[in-house]
Amino acid sequence: MIPLYNEEKVIRKTLEELRKKRPDDVIIVVDDGSKDNSYFEACIPGIYLLRHIVNLGQGAALQTGIDYAKKLGCKYVVTFDSDGQHCADDIEPFIQTLRKGEADIVLCSRFLGKAENIPTLKKYFLRVAALVERFLTGIKLTDVHNGFRAINVAKFPDFVITQNRMSHASEIIDLIKRLGMRYVEKPCTIRYSDYSLSKGQSMMNSVNIIIEFILGKAIK
Amino acid sequence: MIFIKLLLITILTIVFLLITLSSRFRTYQRLFIIFGYGALAFFILFPSIADKVAEAFGIERGADLVVYIAIAILALLSTVLYAQVKIHERAITKIVRDIAIMKSRKCE
Repeated sequence: MIPLYNEEKVIRKTLEELRKKRPDDVIIVVDDGSKDNSYFEACIPGIYLLRHIVNLGQGAALQTGIDYAKKLGCKYVVTFDSDGQHCADDIEPFIQTLRKGEADIVLCSRFLGKAENIPTLKKYFLRVAALVERFLTGIKLTDVHNGFRAINVAKFPDFVITQNRMSHASEIIDLIKRLGMRYVEKPCTIRYSDYSLSKGQSMMNSVNIIIEFILGKAIK
Repeated sequence: MIFIKLLLITILTIVFLLITLSSRFRTYQRLFIIFGYGALAFFILFPSIADKVAEAFGIERGADLVVYIAIAILALLSTVLYAQVKIHERAITKIVRDIAIMKSRKCE
């Protein structure tokens, strides 16, 4: 399941690579009201394509994808970034962990795996952010806000993301705790390119994410 | 002085009517706002009483008391409005999501 927003330059390549490596999987792309040509670029054979008529945010796109996956009868959902920074080869061990029943959700950790070309400042910042998140949620993780996860959605009908924007990542950690999901971190490779870095989260935005997360918890 | 008082009370009354009539507030929120606005109007009209009430609360001047009450009302209003924005956002999300799922397609 791939949330998509303004990635016309890379989405086709990302999807073609994914399609080639995972030919039997259901691939769902949710275009979150992109202003560019992303929606049409994402239309390659075999892909299920959905579109939000207005931009709601990545959290909302993920939940739309999860709802649709359930409708198609999928048991497991892997969330994958559209900008080509995730590796399709990493999907199999994630799915296997769910199939074997070793966990209900598998999260990707850059620090257990390989983070290619990660800027030093970002690296330390992410580690601090992980500590803050551990403090807020009580869940021990080595990494934060990474779009690559595998979730057993069939087992947890209450796994619903309500935070529309980027604070959904913290909400997912909160859901793990609230629903008592068994979680495991697995290594994964994140390819940082100039493109993905220029489009990614600015570090200052993390402050917004934390505030949004706390406000979101206060106003249910 | 009379002019500025009338102006303040007119503005307060308009805002008060707009807010209480047009938005969906809960009863206790309405009561808080009605009481707060009533107190404000009263203290603006009778500053000498405001001074006495302020003194009873350990505040030096009645004008300060008016400001504190106004801040409390504004804080409540902004919180309630934020919550309403969130409620609307969730409604919009549901509508947009349902449309997306209804219009989903498999690329050939």
